[in-house]
Amino acid sequence: MSAMALKSPDRLELLQGTLDMIILRTLLLGRAHGHEIARHIQRTTEDLLQVEHGSLYPALHRLERRGWVAGKWEKASERNREYKYYRLTVAGRKQLLREQSKWEQLAGAIGRLLAAGQEEES
Amino acid sequence: MKLMPWLMTLLRGRSRRQREADLERELRSHLELEAEEQAAAGLSSEDAHYAAQRALGNTLRVTESTRAAWGWTFLERLAQDVRFAIRMLRKNLAFTALAVVVLALGIGANTAIFSVVNAALLRPLPYDQPDQIMQVFHTPPQKSFPGISLFAVSNANFLDWQDQQHVFEHISLYHFHGMNLTGTGRPDSILGAEVTQDFFAVMHAQPLLGRVFNAEEMNPGRDREVILSYELWQSHFGGDPTVAGRDFTFDGQSYTVIGVMPERFQMPVRARFWVPAAWGPTDRANRSNHNSLVIARLAPRINLQQAQAEMDTISRRLEQNYPDDNAGWGARVIPYHQQLVADLRTPLLVLLGAVSFVLLIACTNVTNLMLAKTAARKKEIALRTALGASRGRVLQHLMVEAGFLSAAGGAMGLLLAHYGTVLIVDFFGNHLPRSIQVRLDGWVLVFTFGISILCGLLAGLLPALRLTRTDRTLNDSLKEGLGRTDSDSGRGRVRNLLVMAEVVLSTMLLIAAGLLVRTLWVLHNINPGFDPQNVITVTVPRAPLKNDPRHAIFVQQALERLRGLPGVQSAGAVSEVPLSGQGGNNLPVQLEGEPPQPVAQQKMVGSNTVTPGYFAAIRVPILRGRDFNDADTDDRTSVILVNDAAAKRLWPGQYPIGKRLSITFFDPEKMREVVGVVGDIKERGLERPSPPALIYLPHRQYQSSMMSLVVRGSSSSADLIAEVTRAVHEVDKEQPVLDPQTMEHVIADSFSDRRLNMWLLVAFAGLALLLAAAGIYGVLAYSVRRRLREIGIRMALGAQVADVLQMIVMEGLRPTVMGMALGVGGAVAVGRLFTTMIYGVKPTDPNTYVAVIVVLLAVSLGASLLPAYRATRVQPLDVLREE
Repeated sequence: MSAMALKSPDRLELLQGTLDMIILRTLLLGRAHGHEIARHIQRTTEDLLQVEHGSLYPALHRLERRGWVAGKWEKASERNREYKYYRLTVAGRKQLLREQSKWEQLAGAIGRLLAAGQEEES
Repeated sequence: MKLMPWLMTLLRGRSRRQREADLERELRSHLELEAEEQAAAGLSSEDAHYAAQRALGNTLRVTESTRAAWGWTFLERLAQDVRFAIRMLRKNLAFTALAVVVLALGIGANTAIFSVVNAALLRPLPYDQPDQIMQVFHTPPQKSFPGISLFAVSNANFLDWQDQQHVFEHISLYHFHGMNLTGTGRPDSILGAEVTQDFFAVMHAQPLLGRVFNAEEMNPGRDREVILSYELWQSHFGGDPTVAGRDFTFDGQSYTVIGVMPERFQMPVRARFWVPAAWGPTDRANRSNHNSLVIARLAPRINLQQAQAEMDTISRRLEQNYPDDNAGWGARVIPYHQQLVADLRTPLLVLLGAVSFVLLIACTNVTNLMLAKTAARKKEIALRTALGASRGRVLQHLMVEAGFLSAAGGAMGLLLAHYGTVLIVDFFGNHLPRSIQVRLDGWVLVFTFGISILCGLLAGLLPALRLTRTDRTLNDSLKEGLGRTDSDSGRGRVRNLLVMAEVVLSTMLLIAAGLLVRTLWVLHNINPGFDPQNVITVTVPRAPLKNDPRHAIFVQQALERLRGLPGVQSAGAVSEVPLSGQGGNNLPVQLEGEPPQPVAQQKMVGSNTVTPGYFAAIRVPILRGRDFNDADTDDRTSVILVNDAAAKRLWPGQYPIGKRLSITFFDPEKMREVVGVVGDIKERGLERPSPPALIYLPHRQYQSSMMSLVVRGSSSSADLIAEVTRAVHEVDKEQPVLDPQTMEHVIADSFSDRRLNMWLLVAFAGLALLLAAAGIYGVLAYSVRRRLREIGIRMALGAQVADVLQMIVMEGLRPTVMGMALGVGGAVAVGRLFTTMIYGVKPTDPNTYVAVIVVLLAVSLGASLLPAYRATRVQPLDVLREE
């Protein structure tokens, strides 16, 4: 995903496909519209990961097309306005699990690799 | 495309537009929310707006990349292809029209024939559980009835079958019965059936009005009751709903109408009313007179084999119990539907085969057209591939085009089939039972749809596969100048193969059609034994009161009046007009001077009742002795005439005049003396190898209620028929005059089904030939266009017009000759399937084969000449300058 933004050097560049996982993970908490998702990602990662809002929508629509999320125009709870709320589908939940375990394996492997390097160094 | 906006909407419009609007709304609400947040953080509303926009990035880019995420659904891609295909087909109107017409002819012919096949062979009959309905026949001893496999049933045997069987739910006997109906406006003679009590129960049929017969009405004296068919109810009773319970005059007697059957109830075929078969003791004991047909419904859980086994057992028992009458007689159970369409099956299947050939040829032609056209589009397609269209996508695109053609062809074919079916039903008319309704029903539509898709696949797949096959195609065609070089010789080979296939199929069809033409020609040239020219016949049925002398007197008076007319040369009457298809009868006779024999052992002859003057009217020679004369009346010596075949059969090697015999069924005590021998007539079908042995009885001594007048005139038959009708009505103005026709027409009618088959096959073969010629022409025309440069060079190097002509014509003839060789081989191989449809020619008749080959050569030569001529007009300099 080349649309990932790097606003400052200490912000992390997202690996390809990671945005999808993050969106799915966000929706695990319940329905959310695009703006809420963007805000949520920024808050929970303490602005470390900043998603360019523009890249969120192609990702959402892609996920929707694959059937992992379902979008629907619904009234917001606190105000009298309709937004397109996304929800996680059953297939999306499974996909999230798959991605998560893949990510954990990858992270674990890299962690071990780096740890081994440190041992050699010391 | 205003062509079919609804289709476009269906495929593309709404979902796509809606999604665009959706996305715009989604992004807008995102911007609003973001701006609100920024404003809450203290920015002015204008700055907040810009900040939100910045955070989102370029809206256009976002929209675009989201759109890309949607991708194209299959339907949307299809819609694009459809739009493109329509544009392409519109651009090439001539090509499109040609392809659609070719396909429509093929699909139309197939749909029409299939609708008949569907109605006659596939669709169940319009009765309850029609598969359970069986027809039960006698099988006669082969010694007495060589070659006859099914025979009518006698009353006593039927009653025994009925009592002894356990395999049928119901079983019933019936036979045809004609009656004169008077008092409903116009006098008419109507064919109906006499039926036993369970007849309607066998069919599981309920009357539309009133009731069916009860057991009481099966007794003589209680049987003056009639059930009307829907048709008769409409035609003679005006569909009067109060008709049940009222009395009408049939055959001069009062009958009570007790019911009306529903419209689809047509059993037996052509019956327009039903009366009870009320039998006295004599009728019930009649075991040797086989006059009737039997219908039965299988009991639940009984199959055909079990029923047949039971009937075999019963037949053997009857043979033992009544050896005199029943020795050698068996029984045969046949599904009613199968029996009903027995004569139609082979011709229909042959015709279906023929039209499927036509369809294959049509598809091949369209394939060739598509090949030629896609070849011209090679560059365009190569470009599309180069720009990233996947092979599947290009394939789909080409298939959609072919699909469009075949859909249009199918729709037009359906239209053609509609008229074709009307035409065929008109033709088949008398040969199709009315319970079989030919129409374009759901199954026919499914069939048409199926073959249209198949055609589309066949016609589209080959060009599509060839075009998208290799990268070589891509590179070459991008580099290549178009249409000038001969690099696609491979495709030329395929096209020649296709043409060859067309010729193979056409050859086989032409041979089949040729054999039928020969058959008809043979039949036309068979001498029927009499001279039909200038002879007309009308039937004058009388109420069948046994031995009412008024019948004979009426006929005699009518004949005398006729003979007085200026245009009449001679006139007579006969109970069964030769070749009128009634089948005649078979009577056991006992010869004088021979020891008395049981009926089953007696010799069989057919009989016919005639008046004096009949043989003169149809010019049958009196070979020996004398004709009947007006003195051969009831109170004189009983006399008969025999035909040559009967004389030889009954008294081989002896002088027949003066011999005497008795007719067992008529009057076993009365000896009848032979006074003359007449020439043989092909009474019962021109195709019968030998004429039947017949005896003739004088009308004044043996009455028939169904006499036909036979009149030889000196001129035009239409006038003659009118005069004869007038003369008959002068004698009796209430007399129905039926079936007026010329004897020539009677003869032609006796093989009308063959003529129908022939015309259909000739039409299909002609169509095939036309399509094949178009195929040859198309391939050559394309080849000449492709080779213009080569031809130009050849001519520049000194080739003469004749050389070029020969070169192109030979190119056209090569696939034709090869196709003909294979087609002849194929025709020889499958010819055996065809033997029941032809007569008097062998399936390998050399004359037919030669004629077909000559026709095909001529046609393919003709198809080659125009492209060849065009090739000779090539101006070498022009062509070479074009480079």
